[in-house]
Amino acid sequence: MFFSDSLKPIYLQIAEWLETEILAGNFAVDEKVYSQYQLAQMYNINPATAARGLNILAEEGILYKKRGLGMFVAPGAMELVRKRRRQDILRQLVVELVGEADRLGVTDAELAGLIAAIRREKEEGQE
Amino acid sequence: MNVIECNELAKSFGKVAALSNLSLAIEPEKITGIIGPNGAGKTTFLKIISGFLAPSAGEIKVFAENPFNSLLVSVNAINLDDSMPLPAAMPLADILDAAGAFYPGWDGGLAKRLLAYFEINPMATYPALSRGKKSTFTSILGIAARCPLTMFDEPTTGMDAAVRKDFYRALLKDYLQHPRTILLSSHLLNEIQDILEDVLLINAGTKVLHQPIAELKEYAVGLRGRAAEVSRLAAASQVIRKESFGKDSIYAVVVRSEGIRERAAAAGVETAPVPAADLCVYLTAGNKGGIDDVFSQN
Repeated sequence: MFFSDSLKPIYLQIAEWLETEILAGNFAVDEKVYSQYQLAQMYNINPATAARGLNILAEEGILYKKRGLGMFVAPGAMELVRKRRRQDILRQLVVELVGEADRLGVTDAELAGLIAAIRREKEEGQE
Repeated sequence: MNVIECNELAKSFGKVAALSNLSLAIEPEKITGIIGPNGAGKTTFLKIISGFLAPSAGEIKVFAENPFNSLLVSVNAINLDDSMPLPAAMPLADILDAAGAFYPGWDGGLAKRLLAYFEINPMATYPALSRGKKSTFTSILGIAARCPLTMFDEPTTGMDAAVRKDFYRALLKDYLQHPRTILLSSHLLNEIQDILEDVLLINAGTKVLHQPIAELKEYAVGLRGRAAEVSRLAAASQVIRKESFGKDSIYAVVVRSEGIRERAAAAGVETAPVPAADLCVYLTAGNKGGIDDVFSQN
């Protein structure tokens, strides 16, 4: 399973994957998400690990529990995910980026230029 | 109620202590990996749980009963290993039928489908099977028996990579439909960690740790950087492993403490999670150091 190749705990990977699904609009507000048993089956993992991933999202208010029915997408989930990812994941990626740029003596302007160039390539690729 | 409880359990064979002072409890319907180096006592422990061996000292309860000579434990538990005394002259199909007559939860249809999938001839006899097929057959027996307590002792010995993968998937799928207490012994945590809930690490016959695998993965942190900085950081923590590399660099594994990542970042030291399998190796290596030490002495 591709999960094992990463050092990130599987339950965090599960949580992030569900967040990405929500961001992509694959789950609407008040829609039921996968159960811990479905996730265990899909990713070949222990259901307790899958439950841990679901519980993180419930604690953050991205999902809500209906007793005996499962977990559902909370209103405002997409905004919550976007906000938190900007704060945590994007920031961490930039910290690493800046670290490597410093080691290589790349200036902020050069870095911004590189980002703009990659964005152009991406846009051209989509056309 | 716990499925297994033991208290200061010990087992000796003559002067050799296989288990000593082992105390723990296994909760129902969890998959626990019993991890430890060769000779750690994994097989002896499973044999005591299943009632094949009597302990030398201490107490063990399985389903609240002493497992030795217990019919209750025999009917509700199965222990699969490669030294199972399966009848040599009996076709495999007959062995499966006999298991069906004994175990109340037996699923004969599943056993037959698995046998066909893994291309094992039901008319073959057990000694005629290759090593990998022997392991596959006993694993099928273990899954189809649906015992409330199912123990696999190094189940994948001799299996090729594809069969291993299929076996773990089959076990997980059957567990999801029919939750039960499963003990899986292995010296390879990597291979089984995804399907585990708990890990019991044993070494030299006693418990090193017993905790959810998710906690084990966050138990320690790896520090890598300049020797002086890493040593200073490590001095404030419990060091599990330390090795030097490059001209002036050290890799140290320490027990995770509050704020260690921030302190490391401030000192220009890189931090990284420690894979659970590596951590188990480090925790059971004792004071003997690593294989590199053997070579550094000449």
